[in-house]
Amino acid sequence: MANVKVSLIGALDMLKFKNMAADREKAIQAAPANEIVATFPINENAKALHPDFIDLVVKDVVDHGEAGAKSFVFAREDGKPLPYFRAGQYLSLKLAVGESFVTRPYSISSGPKWALEGMYAVTVKANPSGFAADWMLQNLKAGDKLKASAPQGDFYFDKYRDCKDVVALAGGSGITPFLSMAYAIRDGIEDFNLTILFGSRSENAILFRDELNEIAAACPKVKVVHVLSDEEKEGYEHGFITAELIRKVAPEQYSIFICGPEAMYRFVEKEVAKLELPRRLVRREMLGVTKKVWEQPGYPAASKDAVYKLTVKQGPNECVIDAFANEPILVALERAGIKAPSRCRSGECGWCRSRLLSGEYFMPEENDGRRWADKKYGFIHPCATFPLSDLTIEVPGEYL
Amino acid sequence: MVKYDAVVVGAGNAGLSAAIRMQLGGKKTLLIEQHNLPGGCATSFRRGRFEIEPSLHELCDVGTASMPGEIRELFGEYGVDLNWVQCPDCFRVISKYSDGSPMDVTMPDGIDAFIAKMEEYVPGSTPKMRELFDLYEEIRLGAIYTSASAGKADPKYMREHFPNMLRTGAYPVAKVFRAMKLPQKCQDILSTYWGYLGVDMEHLSFFHYASMMQRYVRLGAYIPLHTSHELSSALLDRFYQLGGEAWFNCRAEQFLFEGDKLCGVKTTLGDVACDMCLPNINADIVYGKMVPKELVPEREKKLSAARFQRYGARMFVAYFCLDCDYHELGIENYSYFLAGGSDSVKEYNNLLGGVSTNEYCIFLCYNVANPEFSPKGTCVCSITTFGSPKDWNGCSQKDYVALKEKMTDKMLGIVKQKTGIDISGHIEEVSIASPWTFARYLGVPEGAVYGHEVRDWDGIMPRMMMLKQDYPVKGLRPIGAGGPRGDGYSGAFICGSLVGRLALKDLKDWAEGGAN
Repeated sequence: MANVKVSLIGALDMLKFKNMAADREKAIQAAPANEIVATFPINENAKALHPDFIDLVVKDVVDHGEAGAKSFVFAREDGKPLPYFRAGQYLSLKLAVGESFVTRPYSISSGPKWALEGMYAVTVKANPSGFAADWMLQNLKAGDKLKASAPQGDFYFDKYRDCKDVVALAGGSGITPFLSMAYAIRDGIEDFNLTILFGSRSENAILFRDELNEIAAACPKVKVVHVLSDEEKEGYEHGFITAELIRKVAPEQYSIFICGPEAMYRFVEKEVAKLELPRRLVRREMLGVTKKVWEQPGYPAASKDAVYKLTVKQGPNECVIDAFANEPILVALERAGIKAPSRCRSGECGWCRSRLLSGEYFMPEENDGRRWADKKYGFIHPCATFPLSDLTIEVPGEYL
Repeated sequence: MVKYDAVVVGAGNAGLSAAIRMQLGGKKTLLIEQHNLPGGCATSFRRGRFEIEPSLHELCDVGTASMPGEIRELFGEYGVDLNWVQCPDCFRVISKYSDGSPMDVTMPDGIDAFIAKMEEYVPGSTPKMRELFDLYEEIRLGAIYTSASAGKADPKYMREHFPNMLRTGAYPVAKVFRAMKLPQKCQDILSTYWGYLGVDMEHLSFFHYASMMQRYVRLGAYIPLHTSHELSSALLDRFYQLGGEAWFNCRAEQFLFEGDKLCGVKTTLGDVACDMCLPNINADIVYGKMVPKELVPEREKKLSAARFQRYGARMFVAYFCLDCDYHELGIENYSYFLAGGSDSVKEYNNLLGGVSTNEYCIFLCYNVANPEFSPKGTCVCSITTFGSPKDWNGCSQKDYVALKEKMTDKMLGIVKQKTGIDISGHIEEVSIASPWTFARYLGVPEGAVYGHEVRDWDGIMPRMMMLKQDYPVKGLRPIGAGGPRGDGYSGAFICGSLVGRLALKDLKDWAEGGAN
């Protein structure tokens, strides 16, 4: 090709190229040798909103009487504001229970406004197989210290995705994310219409009855319809949350949000299907992993009671522990006091993502939230993975 | 204390590449990563039934098996095999020409096709375009030569083989375009890619722009079949196969020294001894935070001051998973560059001005390139623009969501107005990543994934020429977007390989020099 010239005297072009390094050096040497700035407002903001963990102290414990639950109010020791959140998000509490180190996800039951005032609340209901829940209900008291994740999760109202009218289907302590949403609407933080269909056994067993009634009375955007399974009473619906009932309370266009215990999910799921809504209009809070894995399709029933050796590598450390075939690998890690990361405990968030070096496992299909390449290259989510042989895994570090 | 020959900090693109390079060179290498995933930007996240690509639009310089580009060759050398999907066309740009008339142009890949299409839009442009692409090719070859010679290019060889590169390379793009007397409309259309580099055409070196554009047009662009997490996972897997070890959720906090030579890294999983460390971390953080103050070289302080904290693009991306086929929405192209006009200086200043003035975004639909990208009857789109410190420095937590939504509303409006595409009513999953998000997951200053601006004086050519001067601390060789190859996926892979080679050379020299 013909020569290309940029300056009037083309020879200068080559000189300019040759001098690029010298010119750069000149620019560098002309600058002052100041201390290098290595903190940035954007990064500090991100860290404040999403810290690795939060040190909390229990400020108060509220007993909900017949509803069979307690709320724990947390604050920082210095009372400073806590990371703000979207109503509906959860905290992953990190608890030292005896020799174990366990995490538990709990929806924040207080409104986002409280976070700015330095408080979060979570609400824990007694539950027959609830190892950590029982421990908290019996032992956790004002003044106790614990760590928690920053608020997590995608179970919140999003104006791009959700209809302006949301029908919430709640059962038992599944009311907590919706209580937070109701507070957020009342406080002008969120702007949507929330109709809560709340299933309880009886009038007296309704969790947060007074709080919900107060919000509904003060805020026309929030409505609460109580559905009592074991009691017929005026002013209350009787039975279960059915498709018919949803149709009765819902406007023409609406999104459905579901949160409740496993039995309620399984029932409501079938009712919601009858409504034939597009998938985008139905959102479910994470359910956790089944406690009866042996009932899952594809699980080799003979393995149910086996105990395997689990070799665990973490950074420079390595140890061998027992793992029960009928429990997720994460539980084995926790029982051994290994501090490995976890958050949602439902197989979805991927925070516990670990490398499988050897061994066989079972993962219920409904809990397999892995990325495509993680399946291909041998990564698992220990919170939803059950051992079917001796295993060797490599777990990430945990920031504490 | 555990001991490795080398520690690579940060499993992003450059880190993975460097880790493989070190391990291939026979060095026992530890890769540590503060997140629980490899890849940095090159990752994915799950929402409902979707897996979302967070950052990669199109990877250049892959090419085909019979006509491989630099990246395919590098991966071949590494022993990494991937399922590549070719992106249709280079781009569609909807903007305005300099004279104010509307521009709606779709440019194909392949040099001949690109030139032929330009002839349709700008009749008579072919001879000049031909000349331009000849120059681009010379520069591409010159860049490969410069990279391969790792700072020791032979001036005589360069003068003989790349004379026009030497004549034009030092100037800003706009100046070279004018000197070549390219028709103004061609210049306007050719400006489109500036957003990929994050510096306007008056301050971006022609060398850099030309080598990038040639990489895209000559061989087309590619994406991995299953998001860039597949790419990172394949690289990590290869590193494991070669005997490498990796610690995730592990943060490097300080570099440890014996005298003025690096001897280890303090991490959240304990101290690690090593002779060489390759931090995939911006130089301002490496020297401003992780090297003991008394050991920070004066020149690094001056270099940082000269760069004046001018970081490149601070990303803002909104991701939408839709419950319909993309055809139903009238989406025709893979990537739409939507700009207020073709004056890149004005556009760049407007985006630095924040949400009120920013009119620039890229709308992209992954399924156009890869029909298997999401479940049947769905598609995934993203809108990418740049955030400004003006908006994101002082935003309170309470106003954060509102600011994200304000930006997203504006960009959705631009997409609808310029392309007629309206995605509302189909959104099944949504996620919005602001500069805070990128800062959180990547640790990069201000959420700027491109490192420092590759402004003319500090472009990739002078950086390449100064590889000797730019690593003043013994045993410490930073890599990544702030490094000699600038920003972008392919630049980072090449950078990891290039700097890895320099590190291997160091280790060899020290071993041969014995006690020295």
